[in-house]
Amino acid sequence: MRAPTDKPIKTGTGSATIAFRRTALLILLIAVWWAASLATPVYVLPSPARVMNRLIMLAQNGDLFTNLFTTLWRVLAGFALAVLIGVPGGILLGSNRALGTFFEPVLPVMNTVSSAIWAIFAIIWFGLSPLTPIFVVLMTALPLIITNVWQGTQAVNADFVELAQTLRFSRLKTLLKIYVPSILPYFFSGARLAFGFGWRVSLVAETLGASSGVGYRLRQASDLIQTDQVFAWTIAQIAMMVVIEIGLLAPLERHLFRWRRDVRT
Amino acid sequence: MALANGTDFALLNGPQLVENGPRLTPAPTIDAAAPLARHAAPDHRQALAFRHVSKHFFRDDGSSLEVLRDVSFDVPAGSVVSILGPSGSGKSTLLNMAAGLLAPDQGKVLVLGHETTGAVDWSRLGYMFQDDRLLPWRQALGNVALALEAGSVSRQERRERAQAQLAVVGLGDFGSAYPHQLSGGMRSRVALARSLVTEPDILLMDEPFSRLDAQTRTSMHNELLRIHRERGMSIVFVTHDVEEAVILADHIVMLSPRPGRVHTEIDVTLPHPRLGTPDAQALVAELRAAIAGMSADWVI
Repeated sequence: MRAPTDKPIKTGTGSATIAFRRTALLILLIAVWWAASLATPVYVLPSPARVMNRLIMLAQNGDLFTNLFTTLWRVLAGFALAVLIGVPGGILLGSNRALGTFFEPVLPVMNTVSSAIWAIFAIIWFGLSPLTPIFVVLMTALPLIITNVWQGTQAVNADFVELAQTLRFSRLKTLLKIYVPSILPYFFSGARLAFGFGWRVSLVAETLGASSGVGYRLRQASDLIQTDQVFAWTIAQIAMMVVIEIGLLAPLERHLFRWRRDVRT
Repeated sequence: MALANGTDFALLNGPQLVENGPRLTPAPTIDAAAPLARHAAPDHRQALAFRHVSKHFFRDDGSSLEVLRDVSFDVPAGSVVSILGPSGSGKSTLLNMAAGLLAPDQGKVLVLGHETTGAVDWSRLGYMFQDDRLLPWRQALGNVALALEAGSVSRQERRERAQAQLAVVGLGDFGSAYPHQLSGGMRSRVALARSLVTEPDILLMDEPFSRLDAQTRTSMHNELLRIHRERGMSIVFVTHDVEEAVILADHIVMLSPRPGRVHTEIDVTLPHPRLGTPDAQALVAELRAAIAGMSADWVI
């Protein structure tokens, strides 16, 4: 999903060519899908038109946006918790070598635990409640954010800290004017990764342990063999991520890091 | 502040030369006594004074490395003093002591008459590093204004003073440029503006132009001398480049290889501009000859 924004932004031939290619690719995929659907039963592979109709229906009765926003809210809640814990945690581990060495093994272990396992624990502890997907998002996003912020603290240029010393900056000013801007790019790439992961695992959590949200509706549709609904929800959640990515995260990143030399061009 | 100004420099350094004699192969050819006597005018207010400063560091394996041994010299107010020495002679260590970032093991460093271990008004010092050390996430203006952010100067005033200082170094139109958009020489100018924006009485410069090409370096020298004429601050300029020291300095303090000791002090009274003049070239040649006798691995 990151592919579109990873393309060079300022190349001469411009975005028109890229837009054209993307549209062509989309049309090709839909055409293949449509052709394949002609030869298969509806419950295996519904046609694009049928899925589109279902999507419109879901949008019209409000079901679509209610569930998308339910899931989004949970992802954001888990993500926010991960940031609140992960940023101070990463800075702490990065600024204290002994602490960092001691806790270092925890992060890869946390990363190895499947989101399904977190979901099962969450169901045991929180039952069928919004807390279950929030917990799973938190546990997935947390190690990513801690790791990146930690890395960021290691990447702070000692020369800049020395500069702050010659300027007689207080510790707080050095933190705010040197450390924070140095760590920010690392935090941002960690946060972006964590948000994408969080969105995906939230669906897993919702299929296992929630009574609302996109994940829940996906499982429901699959249980009832409403394959067109499964497709509709899938497309809806992909569309939502693309919108967030292109409409929010990519421009935000471009704005925050406009000082960077564009190494891609 | 009554410093040991009355001390004759020839006396101060004379015994040292003798003491260090055995380590130095052929004796230096420079007759330092005459200019030194002139320099040591007792009524001079000293911007900086190093008094019998020694310093050693510990290596990673725990062994001790002697960097400076009994170094004494003064920086008279308003003068340009160049500390000239090969790498490893403790030039930067001296500068870091003057900036209060390091304390001497023995001896003392006086900044505007106050010991660096005591109460010094550090805002009266500016520091320019070997690299430009511009924060890549700040525009040129923000980088210059950074030097004013330790105190309580208002945001508006910081911006105005930074802008004025950028204009002084000829970058008035580049305030909104990010460091990566600037050339090496321009970045150096921004760094110079940052070290000047607090209007320091003493400017400490640690080989600030060593990474620039010859042409850009010359223009930076002219810029620095012009600003010095206008503001009259004291400048301590660390370099390993003999020619650079001769072009800039009123007074040259030449250090021996590690452990750094004051090898020779000379006054340079030649009129500016000095680049390419026969007198300056003669002095450069003379100093180089002295160095050749002192250190085989001093890259000139």
